[in-house]
Amino acid sequence: MPVFKAPFNGYSVKFSPFYESRLAVATAQNFGILGNGRIHVLELSPGAPGVTESISYDTADAVYDVCWSESHDSVLVAAIGDGSVKIYDTALPPPSNPIRSFQEHAREVHSVDYNPTRRDSFLTASWDDTVKLWAMDRPASIRTFKEHAYCVYQAIWNPKHGDVFASASGDCTLRIWDVREPGSTMIIPAHDFEILSCDWNKYDDCVLATSSVDKTIKVWDVRSYRVPLAVLNGHGYAVRKVKFSPHRRSLIASCSYDMTVCLWDYMVEDALVGRYDHHTEFAVGIDMSVLVEGLMASTGWDELVYVWQQGMDPRAS
Amino acid sequence: MATHQQSQSPPDFPAPSDEKSQIPEVTKPTNEVQQASIVQETAKQESLPSVFVNSEPIREDQIQNAIKFLSHPRVRGSPVIHRRSFLERKGLTKEEIDEAFRRVPDPAPSSQTTVNSQDGQQVVSNVQPQGQIQAMQPAPAPVVMIPSPSFYSRFRWYHAALAVGVLAASGAGTAVFVKKSLIPRLKSWVRRVMLEEETDPLKKADAKPSLAEEAVAAAKAASAAASDVARVSQEMMNTKTEERKYFEDLTHLLGVQVQEMKSLSNNIRKLEGQSNNIPKIYSADQEVYAGSVTNPAARKPYANGSHIDYDTRSARSASPPAPPSDSSMPPHPKSYMDIMSMIQRGEKPSNIREINDMPPNPNQQISNPRIAPKSKPWDYGQAPQDESSNGSWWQQKNPRSTDFGYETTASRVISNQNETNTMEPAAFQRQRSWVPPQPPPVVMAEAAEAIRRPKPQAKIDQETAASDDQSGVSDELQKITKFSESGGDGSGIVQITEIQEETEQQLSHEGN
Repeated sequence: MPVFKAPFNGYSVKFSPFYESRLAVATAQNFGILGNGRIHVLELSPGAPGVTESISYDTADAVYDVCWSESHDSVLVAAIGDGSVKIYDTALPPPSNPIRSFQEHAREVHSVDYNPTRRDSFLTASWDDTVKLWAMDRPASIRTFKEHAYCVYQAIWNPKHGDVFASASGDCTLRIWDVREPGSTMIIPAHDFEILSCDWNKYDDCVLATSSVDKTIKVWDVRSYRVPLAVLNGHGYAVRKVKFSPHRRSLIASCSYDMTVCLWDYMVEDALVGRYDHHTEFAVGIDMSVLVEGLMASTGWDELVYVWQQGMDPRAS
Repeated sequence: MATHQQSQSPPDFPAPSDEKSQIPEVTKPTNEVQQASIVQETAKQESLPSVFVNSEPIREDQIQNAIKFLSHPRVRGSPVIHRRSFLERKGLTKEEIDEAFRRVPDPAPSSQTTVNSQDGQQVVSNVQPQGQIQAMQPAPAPVVMIPSPSFYSRFRWYHAALAVGVLAASGAGTAVFVKKSLIPRLKSWVRRVMLEEETDPLKKADAKPSLAEEAVAAAKAASAAASDVARVSQEMMNTKTEERKYFEDLTHLLGVQVQEMKSLSNNIRKLEGQSNNIPKIYSADQEVYAGSVTNPAARKPYANGSHIDYDTRSARSASPPAPPSDSSMPPHPKSYMDIMSMIQRGEKPSNIREINDMPPNPNQQISNPRIAPKSKPWDYGQAPQDESSNGSWWQQKNPRSTDFGYETTASRVISNQNETNTMEPAAFQRQRSWVPPQPPPVVMAEAAEAIRRPKPQAKIDQETAASDDQSGVSDELQKITKFSESGGDGSGIVQITEIQEETEQQLSHEGN
């Protein structure tokens, strides 16, 4: 399984929804505390070395998250630590990039997510307690959602309903929003500690998972949100990211500060179905490919990006 | 069902009494109302957007708790956003929180509405400034405390220096003054003595005894003066030693103060390092609330790389989430701690470059997309298009069997009659090559039949007829149905394996 060594600490990895062999990596210098950032676009190749960099873009500040456009195959959006949101077009020559830079957030932008149903807009979540809605062709944000009392760590679109999204925040609540409504439509006090990540079940549009500093992942049904459907224990430290499989209804992947990537099936009694401990520092980014079933990628503060098939050992060569 | 029975009961009774006829009649309209509301609710739930909305009724007990919380004087002094956040974390819905906020400043007489409530609030705030001050004090106390000892010590140091200066000046001044006053005093004294001696001998007669007396008197005076001088000088010496002692005491105190300051700064550094361990314990409302109020105050220095003075962001903590107190902080890499301490000292890491990452042309046209957007595997009617390609390492499917709760997924596929599940059977048949443990084959066969017979199969046929990838699926399904019909011989495991092998063969056939 190929490994890519980045010069900076990894923060996020995303597979392209258009090209099954392409992925983007967000990295930050000095662990993202203070320094530059870089976005890598990687290509998987059948022979050795397995993964190569096709292009990279330097940024003045840390890149905390990156996502691919769902409408344009060559475009990606980056969430930057100086509060800006930048758009890059890999089809244009490097000196023309970035093609846009939106400076509206007052603090670090922690996540960016593109709408997979409507394909025309994306969300950014920031430590300035707000979530903003953008379209690529507009010079300013379309909406600002300001209700959280603390940093918003992630905002994710619902995979079936193009107007609904969820936001996970350090104020310990998970909020469900509808862009047609002025404010949040549901407030779920999901954890007693900060919620670092959330993701929707791709096959059950009312189910979503949250991961928290309290080392657990909880799976919720919005129709009966007082009690979680499942509480997944097993990580040794805060769970940084959680992701529902695009191919299997109840499969969840997660990465944690305990340096492991875990696979869970929340419908089963013994939910932990896989554990990978290939990282030697905090594992902070994870993605599962939409185009290739079973293909996963992870990155961490050890500056490595691993791409592997479920069931294989990521470090095997 | 109960309502239905109750509405039927009156005709069942051959001779309904008045009571009995009354009761069903009374219950009947309420049941109808209930039925109507149930129908309404289900209709509401079926229209999609409302699934993501709180459909619970407002809970009065929660509102009462919230009102008690909001009426507390300490809570009244805090920002509204904190109060809302606290109530949200307790599980109140938006409507309940809004209702509680609406009710809280409302005093018992409800006739005077919002005007009175505003006045009431002002009166309350004027009458209870102490309460507010007390409320504010514990909140900023931990923040104020940190600079105050240093301030206090600084003040004392300054005060001490001033005192030393004043003492020295006063000592010098008194010495000068004493000297200045002593000498003329001596002189005048001697003159007086001389005068007395002159007058005295004049009164007596100028004789040797007068000289002797004079001499004696002079000697007496001189000795007295000398003793005086000696005394004064002794006093001066004493004051000098006293001053010196005082000075030494002061320097000693200063040294102690410096030590204290050093230890304080060490403690502060330690606390900053642990400040993310501030727990959010929900033991009692007030304690919780105080904890949550102070947390935002602590957030800024923490997020700013532990700067005590809240200046502009020079660095950020890369892991702002605060872990719970019962677990230790996850072990950060050593170089991470090095960088954090470097930034706390105010140094910048040397590897940072100046980069201009602004768009060279802000109006740059986005290049035209070369591929049409692909539909997702969870949308109906289309599977991921990687099935035709082969050979790449990243497409080799997982041969190991033990990693997934595959049986459960399979059972869910069978038991669930949802539309969304129509894709699942197709997806799961295509790739798996390992053997899941199976329930008794008879059950499987019947269930498989039941599913594949009615409209889900027809649906699959419709949807998959269009795309090439799916053309084999309906064939596969029919094969499976036939197979399960024929195979009731107890070898369930073999059944499924063979099904899968067959589908794989089918696929490879189609691929070629």
